[in-house]
Amino acid sequence: MANFNFKRHEIESKVFLVVDDFGDMRGMLRSMLNSIGVGEIDTAVNGKEAIEALEQKRYDVILCDYNLGPGKNGQHVLEEARHRQLIGLDAVFVMITAENTREMVMGAVEYEPDSYLTKPFSKDLLKARLEKLVLKRQDLQAVETAVSAQDYESAVRMLDEKISTKPKNLGELTKQKAEILYRAGEYAQASAVYEKVLSVREMPWARLGLGKIFYATGRLQEAAILFEGLLQENQRFTAAYDWLARALESQSRGREAQEVLQRAVTLSPKAILRQKALGELAMKNGDNKAAEQALSQAVALGHNSVYKAPAIYANLARVKSRNGNGLEGLKILDNMEKEFSGSDASQLHAAMAKGVIHQNLGDEEEAGTWMCRAGELYQSIGSQVSADLTLDMARSYGELGQLDNAQSMLKHLVRNNHSDQELLLRVETLAGELTLTADPKNFVSEIRREIVKLNNKGVEMAKAGQLNEAVVLFGEAVAAMPGNKVVNLNAARVMIINMRESGIERDQLIKVRELLDRVRTMEPENHALRRVQAMYQDLIKSVV
Amino acid sequence: MEQGMRFADILASLIHDMKNSLWMVINTLEACTADPQPGADPDKIFTLQQEAKRLNTNLIELLTLYKIENERISPNIEELNIADFLEELVLENQATAKARRVSLNWECDPALSGYFDEGLIRGVANSLIGNGMRYTADNLLLSAAEEEGYLVIRVEDDGNGFPPEMLAAQDAIDNHAVLAEGRTQLGIYFAGMVAKMHRNKKKEGYVRLTNGHSLKGGCFSICLP
Repeated sequence: MANFNFKRHEIESKVFLVVDDFGDMRGMLRSMLNSIGVGEIDTAVNGKEAIEALEQKRYDVILCDYNLGPGKNGQHVLEEARHRQLIGLDAVFVMITAENTREMVMGAVEYEPDSYLTKPFSKDLLKARLEKLVLKRQDLQAVETAVSAQDYESAVRMLDEKISTKPKNLGELTKQKAEILYRAGEYAQASAVYEKVLSVREMPWARLGLGKIFYATGRLQEAAILFEGLLQENQRFTAAYDWLARALESQSRGREAQEVLQRAVTLSPKAILRQKALGELAMKNGDNKAAEQALSQAVALGHNSVYKAPAIYANLARVKSRNGNGLEGLKILDNMEKEFSGSDASQLHAAMAKGVIHQNLGDEEEAGTWMCRAGELYQSIGSQVSADLTLDMARSYGELGQLDNAQSMLKHLVRNNHSDQELLLRVETLAGELTLTADPKNFVSEIRREIVKLNNKGVEMAKAGQLNEAVVLFGEAVAAMPGNKVVNLNAARVMIINMRESGIERDQLIKVRELLDRVRTMEPENHALRRVQAMYQDLIKSVV
Repeated sequence: MEQGMRFADILASLIHDMKNSLWMVINTLEACTADPQPGADPDKIFTLQQEAKRLNTNLIELLTLYKIENERISPNIEELNIADFLEELVLENQATAKARRVSLNWECDPALSGYFDEGLIRGVANSLIGNGMRYTADNLLLSAAEEEGYLVIRVEDDGNGFPPEMLAAQDAIDNHAVLAEGRTQLGIYFAGMVAKMHRNKKKEGYVRLTNGHSLKGGCFSICLP
């Protein structure tokens, strides 16, 4: 027990935030902490106050009750704190619950607390738990830092070192390693880790991980069967519903996907991202009644959540209009602009939706004005505009009958994302919905083929040693499709190979950096990007 | 279904509130024992504390059983370090043990890990420790080991042991009829149900009652695959 003295000191010097809506509880937690020896303790009575406190001061340990009365709950506080990085990677977040609420949130959320504590607990237990958690955070801080810098290789290496010492939390470290490999796109390695765990024991998290890899590698049917199996074992495993819905939707089984999400929403109605997904899916399926219900929920839940977004409001407004309630939709949009204090994204979403709603209300002139405004805003956001936003623009143009504009938006999307199967399917669906073309499948695949051909030609040239020609060809391709990640990366790749063969050229080096930066802004976690980046680093090193 | 879920939500929030109250009671009483007032009767305060804790354990069991019956619960299996788990159980119950002059200890291989639903097994263990406290002479031991493909968690005492009828009848413990026989039986029934919810490959968890394992009294084993 000698080493406890050292650990006790650790806890004593930490800065604590206690969040509970009951004054008596706050007082009791404070006196427990005092008796453990903690000196610096602040308190907050609800989620809003907790966030304000976190904005103003760095806390080491947050003890937060899950139930905080009206407004944000403990999970909202955790999500916002971690999402907005209001707390450091070494900070410990403990969720205090009345009963085992873990099953309610199991795997359904991006951020999990370091630990759950079930009431009532004694100060001795609190102390022992906190000491362990603080040490664990310290132990994993380097790994977390590497992950947040997307240096997955280092993170995995550090975890492997820890795992080789067969520590107490071996299972936890293994799970973390597999998740990092998955994020890094190292699917074969991640899958080997999951398979190994599953060969000893059926663990739902490992099975889910395997399913996610099936999904990511296009084995959609196998993925769907796996997720269904998980739900048969445990019908409260909410993350499995989300993944099953995605797998079904990607197989153009939208109706079934909607049913799956509806079941999940019945089980846990408070998950904003799931309500949003359900609403959007129902809109695509033309089930406007269900869409309105889910999106209303998502907007309401957004008041407390860091995940609130203009797109949710805009979609709710559109769907209200489809359900014959255009005026209500317009009110929602005005409200939204205030809510997001007139941000570019909120203005653009509002303008698009207003165009469509005025059109539905029969005021074509007003509709045209708003759509013009939307076009200007869209242009001003520039090339970094998201695919979702471009899809929304295309939809808006289409619903206003500006079919040429809609078509050029969709062409632009396919040209810039020709290898993103999920997005291509969405383009195809929308092209069909808006009846832009008699054969939406062909519309997409024709543009796609053109780019694949161009891309392959460049790659073959490079293979055949015609590097200068390849550089020119990809240079032209990039100019024509600045948003295409594959083309950007291939351009960078041939330039790097070219310089490796015939020496560094300053202009080309700068160009390579530009291309990589552009892809990084579009998709920081792009797997191919990391490989080309490594090539670039090697090139630089070879010069030095 | 709709109505059932609403009832469960009301039940859960009522229990939440009751547990908050109990926590206040338990901790206020703890403050009383730490800082005794002249004329206060420590035995009475202790009784109050014990009954509040027992009420709390009952509430947890009630809620868990309700959820099991309504299939609102599936065990959330996690990998846990058993030494940490046992240490926390001892810490949680140490105050009571001291007041009863019972020596409460734990022993197991520090590297041993197990796979189970922490919340559920913690509830069971607390309830067994509470029972053990009443039947023991002056010793209570928590231990764990891996035996024949099962993780076996034991709660042992040095009292008179389980009566022979109970040992003989334990295979019928699943039978609802024994519920009428009282609090201890309910605890065993609850433990059996929770153990059974833990499965791995084709094996299923179970509980076992024996006497004279390493202490001379009763020994309750929870065996998890």
